[in-house]
Amino acid sequence: MAPGIQLRSTLSRSVLPDAAEEQLIYVLLEMSAHGVPTSTPKLPLNLCLVIDRSSSMRGERLQQVKEGANRIVDMLGEEDCLSLVTFNDRAEVVITSQRVRNKVDLKRMIGGVEAAGGTEMATGMALALQEVQRALVSRGVSRILLLTDGRTYGDEGRCVEIVRRAQGRGVGLTALGIGNEWNEDLLETMSARENSRTQYITSASEISQIFTDEVKRMHSVFAQDMNLRAEMRPASRLRSLDRVRPFIAAVQATEEKDLIWAANLGDWPGGDPQAFLLEVVVPPLAIGDHPLLRVTLRYSLPGMNLLNQEGNVVLRIGVRQAASVNYAVDVTVKHWLERLVAYRLQAGAWQDMAAGRIEDASRRLQMAGTRLFDAGDVDLAHTVQDEATRLLRSGQTSAEGRKRIKYGTRGLMGGETQEREA
Amino acid sequence: MIRCNHCNAQQMNGTIFCSECGASLIVEGPRRETTNALNRTVDGIPSVVEDGPPMVVPAPVPVAKVSGICLVVINSGRRINLESGEELLVGRKDNQRGIYPDVDLGLDGGYDAGVSRRHAIIVPNRKGYMLEDLGSSNGTFINGTRLAPQSPTLIAHGDELKFGTLILRFEIA
Repeated sequence: MAPGIQLRSTLSRSVLPDAAEEQLIYVLLEMSAHGVPTSTPKLPLNLCLVIDRSSSMRGERLQQVKEGANRIVDMLGEEDCLSLVTFNDRAEVVITSQRVRNKVDLKRMIGGVEAAGGTEMATGMALALQEVQRALVSRGVSRILLLTDGRTYGDEGRCVEIVRRAQGRGVGLTALGIGNEWNEDLLETMSARENSRTQYITSASEISQIFTDEVKRMHSVFAQDMNLRAEMRPASRLRSLDRVRPFIAAVQATEEKDLIWAANLGDWPGGDPQAFLLEVVVPPLAIGDHPLLRVTLRYSLPGMNLLNQEGNVVLRIGVRQAASVNYAVDVTVKHWLERLVAYRLQAGAWQDMAAGRIEDASRRLQMAGTRLFDAGDVDLAHTVQDEATRLLRSGQTSAEGRKRIKYGTRGLMGGETQEREA
Repeated sequence: MIRCNHCNAQQMNGTIFCSECGASLIVEGPRRETTNALNRTVDGIPSVVEDGPPMVVPAPVPVAKVSGICLVVINSGRRINLESGEELLVGRKDNQRGIYPDVDLGLDGGYDAGVSRRHAIIVPNRKGYMLEDLGSSNGTFINGTRLAPQSPTLIAHGDELKFGTLILRFEIA
């Protein structure tokens, strides 16, 4: 078999009852690599570290950041580029984008960073984009790694605007928040695009590990420019498309032309499983077997010099007389849907809360807790329940609980794995 | 269209979880207890989780005397006390097919969780209790490890058993 990415699809139900109205079907789309050597040459990494050095970073946090940055220097090679930008009330370039040759010099510059002042992120992000673009190459992985422990005031819009420009040029963002003060809405918005993610660091001692894990992940990218296309059958439609593995996130799908939806999935780091959940509205169909949709994945395997590859899968459903159709749904599809629903419920709860609908918010959180219990995530379910109760009592939630829920429901808490045998 | 039991929203046929309130629309038979019920207000005063029935049963205390066994459904706290000394079928009751398991997980949302009608058996022997998967569709797990079908495996007090996605704890009383 030629090397490439294989698509596997599982339907919530493969046989539908015949009905005179529209029906909803859920599709789990999993991807796996075949015949791609696990030791393909690493792609050059073009990395910019953006570090918050406001006074609250003083002490262990900054110490851990420096240690993490030093470890990154050790992991990078001559073909990689590194830059370091720090920000407090102002931003400065500590290391201009350069090949990682003189590791001693680089570490000395990292060692000189001191914590003081406030938090103004946008200027830091602007300098980061400038540095990362110096080394922008057609072949390789470009990323900005941002770490903050505070809120930036008044320049949130600019932060998002700058990061969108970066993402538009193929530069992804990993946004790490530490402590309880930072603005998770901002980091989430900034990283809601391909090749970007955000993570919640609960303790300073995790920083160094998360830094090195992230660099490993970037070094393990073997597929790039992954684009998904879904061709629907007439009168059917794609109601939603979400990533469920390695973490939950809505994927922006645009209708290119009638019945054809396209989405950019970005790069694929080797260690991350890739799975997506689609909600498809099926029109009334005659009894028989029907093609439902064709999913096409376009991608490049730059390490093997295989560009513009394509794989596809056609999903078919059977329609039978209602009396003979069993209503059982696939448990794996249901499991991921359950997690996705929990994520959506908590997201709705924060919106309700912002609009002052405290009871609705609490109700949604409670239901999110139920879904998480059923999905087997008991610890997180308890956290959600506690916040739902706190909300009803006091009209407020705790900053820490909110962050744990937002990141936990997506599977983005440090140190936790969402692996599960299906 | 179907109607959500929980919030009355109209939902498309085939919907698994209500898009408005997130409630499950495919629960068969008796409704499973949701955590919502644990937080229900009494006389208008919101009760807290801690005051409600415990959601997770306290850790088992091992005892030497062997007289019976118990399966605890983790997410509802239901304790299923069983006579020891005979083979016990774990599954879901099906009147039509004449399947009446000793442990009917249909009462605990077993259908939803992927429990087969004839899922597994618990067999006592001189060493203790063996759990055997009967070729169930969604598997039987001991402390997270999946059993091969038809291969009896020893289970111990406090082990976590999973049938499909439903988690139970095995206790020797």
